[in-house]
Amino acid sequence: MLEISDLATSYGKIEALRGVTLSARSGTVTCLLGPNGAGKSTLMLTLAGILKPLRGSIKFEGEELVGCEPAKIVERGMALVPENRLVFPGLTVRENLLAGAYRRRDMAGIRSDVDAMFVRFPRLKERVEQLAGTLSGGEQQMLAVARALMSRPRLLLMDEPSVGLAPLVVAEIFSIIEQLHREGVSLFVVEQNAHMALKVAQHFYLMEQGRVSFSGSPGEMADDTVIQRAYLGQQRAEPGLPTSP
Amino acid sequence: MMHVLQLLMDGLIDGGAYALIGLGLSLTFGQLRRLNLAYGATAMLASYLGAALYATQRAPAWLVAVTVIVSATLIGWYVEWMCFARSGQESEQGFGPAIGAPIAGADGREVVALASSFAIWMQLEQLAVNLLPQHLNAFPSLAAQQDWVIDSSLGELMVRPDRLLLAILAAVMVLGLAVWLERSRTGLSWRACADRRLAAHLVGMPVARLQTAAFAAGCALSGFAAFAVLSLDGQVTPMFGMWVLLKGLVAAMLGGLGSVRGVLWGGLFLGVVEAFAQASVGAQGREFATYALLFFVLVVPWKPRQALGLSAGLRG
Amino acid sequence: MNEMVGAHLIGLSSDMAIMSLLALSAYLLLLVGKVSFGQQAFFGLGAYASGVMSAMFHAPLLFALVFGMGVGALCSWLVALPTMPLSGLNYAVATLAFGEMARVALSLWYWQIDLGDGLVGPAAIDGFRDIRWLHENDVSPGQFFALTMFVLFCILILMLRSEHTRLGVALRMTGQDETLAATQGINVSRLRLFSATVAGALAALGGGLYAHRTTYVEPAIFDPMLGVHAVGYALLGGVGTALGPLVGVLFDLGLLDATHWFSGWRMVIFGGLVALFLRWRPRGFLDERLVHRFGSMFNAKRYP
Repeated sequence: MLEISDLATSYGKIEALRGVTLSARSGTVTCLLGPNGAGKSTLMLTLAGILKPLRGSIKFEGEELVGCEPAKIVERGMALVPENRLVFPGLTVRENLLAGAYRRRDMAGIRSDVDAMFVRFPRLKERVEQLAGTLSGGEQQMLAVARALMSRPRLLLMDEPSVGLAPLVVAEIFSIIEQLHREGVSLFVVEQNAHMALKVAQHFYLMEQGRVSFSGSPGEMADDTVIQRAYLGQQRAEPGLPTSP
Repeated sequence: MMHVLQLLMDGLIDGGAYALIGLGLSLTFGQLRRLNLAYGATAMLASYLGAALYATQRAPAWLVAVTVIVSATLIGWYVEWMCFARSGQESEQGFGPAIGAPIAGADGREVVALASSFAIWMQLEQLAVNLLPQHLNAFPSLAAQQDWVIDSSLGELMVRPDRLLLAILAAVMVLGLAVWLERSRTGLSWRACADRRLAAHLVGMPVARLQTAAFAAGCALSGFAAFAVLSLDGQVTPMFGMWVLLKGLVAAMLGGLGSVRGVLWGGLFLGVVEAFAQASVGAQGREFATYALLFFVLVVPWKPRQALGLSAGLRG
Repeated sequence: MNEMVGAHLIGLSSDMAIMSLLALSAYLLLLVGKVSFGQQAFFGLGAYASGVMSAMFHAPLLFALVFGMGVGALCSWLVALPTMPLSGLNYAVATLAFGEMARVALSLWYWQIDLGDGLVGPAAIDGFRDIRWLHENDVSPGQFFALTMFVLFCILILMLRSEHTRLGVALRMTGQDETLAATQGINVSRLRLFSATVAGALAALGGGLYAHRTTYVEPAIFDPMLGVHAVGYALLGGVGTALGPLVGVLFDLGLLDATHWFSGWRMVIFGGLVALFLRWRPRGFLDERLVHRFGSMFNAKRYP
């Protein structure tokens, strides 16, 4: 469904992505792990069209999307739930959801989707007219996911959905991911929390220093050394170092 | 008593005009988080173009109005291009401080755009004066011939119907715009772009186009307001640019920059304060009161909204 | 003919020196990261204060000027106290508001005394005439020119020298990144107050010289456009060195205005250039990079 090949993006002189190649199959949950600074968020922002890559290709359902405006990416069916949530703090919960449906024209469909979101995320329903900036971290995460879902994406991109949240909330987030997967939404998730991710994803990639360094199934990923690298990056083998995070 | 009522009436009526004048400024600030100091000069140059048309072609009032509004929009496009083209955003492709900006830091870009806009202000003002070098320039007059007199047991109340109409029109436009911002899809998108530009991109909004549209709307409004005010005076002078900027700025800031309803309250409040100041201390006292009010509003920390830590973007 | 050209040049140079003081005043605030649209207020206050001293109390010129500087410094400090903590934009608008408050206050101020020859003193909106100290003491335009140049020269030396002192570096750091400066132990707010106070004194000095040169000032002169020009000179000429604002003044008053090649287009050109520079060369013509390159060319003092 999604095929990325040799993608490279820079911030000025800093090369954040140095030729990333990976793919995500339709109907699966694909997870991208990696230490801080590996370039995971840069990849997500490039996929969303916010950042323009220097070279490479992004094929979504056969169509080349490199260089497209973010608006077109959303229209084609890819929506990003960004790192740090990025809800509209000055808009109410309901307005945030409506904003998510900006590219849609079917008013009746939008209305029914808003109701569906409140069923899926009951906590948002309690706060429907509240300003999103006053919500807790977990609630904002729910809102960010709901907002992205409002555009009825075929591929949902999620950048570190569990970061900074309490364990109970994290569990909720992952159960939502599982739920969406069962409903047929494809997901591409960047995560720090490897243990939780292992339970929901069908395929894994490990990214280090702007490149994909490992690709495999949950079983292969569960290997301790790989997880170490996911959290801490490459380690030189030295005696006396702790072996698990 | 009647005297107080008369002052109040005069103040509210003048205040309506101030609100209309400040509406465009508040709108563009709300959208881009940038103060456009060229606002007054834009309105002035557009008005001068209208006045020139009137002087050379004896154009009818409606044509002058259209000229002023369209010119203001086009000039605004130039101002936006020169000063605010990269505004309203956290740099998406270039993290870190804006290296080399004359004012660095969090409000660095804000102040740079401010500085650019005053430079363009200089340009536009000179262009206007080059176009019509005389001090007094005729403008099509829509002024009423007679004042209305309201008789009551307490005494007489004088009302200028044309100015009253302008104030009512201002209130209607402000409230209309506020409601539109809050209820319509496009209004929501304007507010979303102002609130968090990156998130607006992510939901598929064409942010640059929307922001340009909002800026253009602000300038068109300034043209409309300029025409309305000048048509009641029947003339335009080189002082007009500064007047528009200062009155609009005070009205908008009193109500909270970016708040559409706020500019109405700000304008009305300013009008009333000025009316009473003039009655007590004369014309100069009135001027002083305007600026003192602005100064104290800025300097005394009393914005409860800030405490919520919410971004002061565009709101109805 | 040559005499006329000479006299004209002397007058022009005096004017440029006076404007340079106002531009330096704006520069001092840009240095610590603030754009002020109110420096014309201190220029005006200095003009009036010095004029009062010399015309109404027959004080010697230097005393009048220093008195004016004191008034400018004090007022600037008082205004800076509540306004410095404001964000860049609010600060700019607050200084604009104050500038207008000062102008209107001056246009309300009436204080005339009879010195036998008729009334002398500020006459509210009609301005302040007969500041004739220079004429009464037979100071020629040439001598006045020498005085203004000397004053400017001293100030420049002072400012250029202090670039390499702890104070100068600290000032520049505050403007570049106040958080970083604070972590280096710099008291940012005190430094900004200091800068504002000195800026007020400089503007007032310029105002005092201006009042004596023209013998007549009125409040309408001290409008926001004057302050806007001052900031423009600093932005265009460059904020890398105290010489920057002078370059700006030279360009506008010397090139654009004095040669009448650009009449009617002066502000269009000047404004356009400032806007372009802000986009492509934000620290002006004499920016830190150019200054550093000049400096190392001449093996000047290195930064500590």
